[in-house]
Amino acid sequence: MANHRADEKRFLDERGSSGPLAPNGLNPATIMEKPVRERIIDSYFWKDQCFGVNEADIINRVVEHVHFIGGTYGDAQRPSPFLCLAFKLLQLGPSDEILEEYLGYGGEKFKYLRALACFYVRLTRQAKDVYRLLEGYLGDYRKLRRKGRMGTSLTYVDAFVDDLLVKERVCGTTLWKMPKREVLEDLDVLEPRVSPLGDIEDLLESEPEEVERENERGSDSERSRRGSPGSEFGEVTPDRDEMDIDREKTANGD
Amino acid sequence: MTTRKGAYETTASDTDFRKKYDLAKYAADAKEKEEKEREEKKARYEAKLAGKKYYAPLTGDEVLTQARASRLDVSSNVGKVVLMPAGAATGKRGRGAGFYCPDCDLTFKDNLQWVEHENSMQHLRAIGQTGEVKRATREEVHERIQRLWERMEEERRGDVKTLGERLEVRREEDEKERELRREKRRELAEKRKKVKEEEVKVKKEYGEDVRIEGEHDEDDMMASMGITGFGSSKK
Repeated sequence: MANHRADEKRFLDERGSSGPLAPNGLNPATIMEKPVRERIIDSYFWKDQCFGVNEADIINRVVEHVHFIGGTYGDAQRPSPFLCLAFKLLQLGPSDEILEEYLGYGGEKFKYLRALACFYVRLTRQAKDVYRLLEGYLGDYRKLRRKGRMGTSLTYVDAFVDDLLVKERVCGTTLWKMPKREVLEDLDVLEPRVSPLGDIEDLLESEPEEVERENERGSDSERSRRGSPGSEFGEVTPDRDEMDIDREKTANGD
Repeated sequence: MTTRKGAYETTASDTDFRKKYDLAKYAADAKEKEEKEREEKKARYEAKLAGKKYYAPLTGDEVLTQARASRLDVSSNVGKVVLMPAGAATGKRGRGAGFYCPDCDLTFKDNLQWVEHENSMQHLRAIGQTGEVKRATREEVHERIQRLWERMEEERRGDVKTLGERLEVRREEDEKERELRREKRRELAEKRKKVKEEEVKVKKEYGEDVRIEGEHDEDDMMASMGITGFGSSKK
């Protein structure tokens, strides 16, 4: 089919009876929960900005309107633009190559576009594709703003992707239960993941001092999952190397 | 001499100023209109029986719907006074106080109703749209990302805050301007040089045989007096 419907009526009416299913076998119209869905299609943002939008226009909307991720926010539990556009993506059902554009080329430039595409991939793609596509972005440390019912907090793209892979509920949506990575590895569907930190067995076997050093080296290429203390508040703890250099300098100066 | 002509040699009769009625044409038009109305009525009735809403059938020159380019700008009307006719509609029908849709001749009182109307099939059909949106290809998506990024970069360049950045931008602009001026000057010099060369060439091409009487007298006289020209020493 060459065209989309401009509104969501047919998408919701078909409800999986005749409409196409997502690649993971779920019905895109019911992936989000009913209360959230209804809030979305009642919201002004949806009616105003998500009408008649196709795969290219949605990028405009993301760039202009998405300044935080989150499900519903505030006392009125208004659906965020992020969630509205995710629902629009569910309706549009973009192909894999368009998703690649969103994640790769567009994702390099617009971090919220990558976050949105990651979210969509997690909702609709098969487990092996989800792992394959999302794990690459565990090395993306750009900041994201998250808004929930409790207020605003800081997160990162890699933390968000990790949430998508690990958690059950993200952005007001219950994620479908995905088989664990180990299971897929046992079934030879996936290759074991190589962490940028190196092999975990090596790390455990080696001497504690070595591990320290390994960690230091690793912190240059990848911040550990927890991040340095205070990183959730946007503080950056200087690396020990830099501090050493400083100390040397002052020593020389004296 | 059988043709009857008046004093002014026209064939007009006394009552020619009256409007002419093409009765056959009117009858045909009326029949067509009635038929159309009857068909529409039937379609409406059938749609009602089927439990559907009736829309005028597509004519075939509808265009695809496109995403809204601009949001409803309410703030531009702040402080404006609009005169309403005394008989302005109190309901939706006709022109009244509120957001007026000229295509459907309806007035809406708030932005939510307005945007719902704009999205409705009734409105889309009235403005000749199908309510379908073109599917974008990968290339279009790529190109859109690129365009948005370029636009953002442009804005970022225009929006600088610190003095250092401003100086940097100014320096870049100055450099560009200077380069432009230099280019212009070079071009001008080139042109002048070319013209001069042309002149010299023309002068050299003159043979004795093409000398026109009197034209080169001045040159000859100056040459004989030892003056080669005014102003410039190089020839």
